[in-house]
Amino acid sequence: MESRLADVGHLIQSARDGDERAMTELITIHKGLVFTIILRMTNDYHTSQDLTQETFIKVFMNIRKVKNAEHFKPWMCTIARNVVRDYFRKVKRKRTVSFEEIKELHGHSNIEITRKRVIIQDAMAKLSEKDRMLLTLTYYQGLSLGEVARVMKMSENNIKVCVHRARKRLRKYLEGYEHELLSTC
Amino acid sequence: MNSCQHAEKIVDYRLNQLTEEEKAVFEAHLKSCEICQHELQVEMAIENELSAELDPGFIENRIKARLQLRQARDVRSFWLYAFRMAVYGVTATIVSMILLPVLLKFPLSSVLDLSKYSSGLAGLLGQLAPFNAFVVIFGFCYIAVFFASMYTLTQIRR
Ligand SMILES: [Zn+2]
Repeated sequence: MESRLADVGHLIQSARDGDERAMTELITIHKGLVFTIILRMTNDYHTSQDLTQETFIKVFMNIRKVKNAEHFKPWMCTIARNVVRDYFRKVKRKRTVSFEEIKELHGHSNIEITRKRVIIQDAMAKLSEKDRMLLTLTYYQGLSLGEVARVMKMSENNIKVCVHRARKRLRKYLEGYEHELLSTC
Repeated sequence: MNSCQHAEKIVDYRLNQLTEEEKAVFEAHLKSCEICQHELQVEMAIENELSAELDPGFIENRIKARLQLRQARDVRSFWLYAFRMAVYGVTATIVSMILLPVLLKFPLSSVLDLSKYSSGLAGLLGQLAPFNAFVVIFGFCYIAVFFASMYTLTQIRR
């Protein structure tokens, strides 16, 4: 973990100096995180692809502002969140994700997995923007509680309380779908 | 679906937020309660979905291409802006030079007539014809505004 952070630090330094390979690597490492956040927020596959690109463009245009490699990930998540907010301010409408688009996401058309994904995404769409962001960041593997707190601008204890509440609300929206969620993976 | 009061604890249990004691009590209960077992399964299925990382596909090259395009456009629009400002400035100067002789025939000319002041910059300007004074003042203002906006632009680009 330590050495990976040091690696990211080097990559940031090189990307700052315009090294294309460092940029490519930074994108490859982080694109899943950025895309996951954005897709959970927008519920639209193509928009999310576009906004993910937009996020990275903003990241590289401002990368000299990153003084500490430790803060890179939370900083990037905050940019992604702002990009999504700007987008919603522009379009002011939300669309739900279609089955076809979700199938595209995985390349394979495992209907069980995609059906579950649609159910969860629909329930997530009913939550507030803050709750959705919070759950996405918390359950994403590889973000520490401290990093989540940094993005959400909340204390770690506060995060725990809010996650608990958000999870309860999500569970309520999933009432009646239990059997589909439990069907074979 | 029947409910069980212990089911309330499941989210905290999964988030590891129960005390050791609460955890032991809950786990003991879990063994004998089908409702909680079912609920735990559902919670884990939700978690499983929420923790999935979604893949945007290969976007690396598109990002770099768009970034280069954006940077090139920024440089271009900067010089375009500078050029436009210069054209506006020259046009405004020419127009005012043509308009001023006309304006000077109106009472406004007395306001611009600085010859009644005798000291300092005003005095120096007063030595010149009011027409020239106006052009000089206008020129100074224009140059000041031009450099101020150029400076602001370079700051924005960083
Ligand atoms: Zn029970």
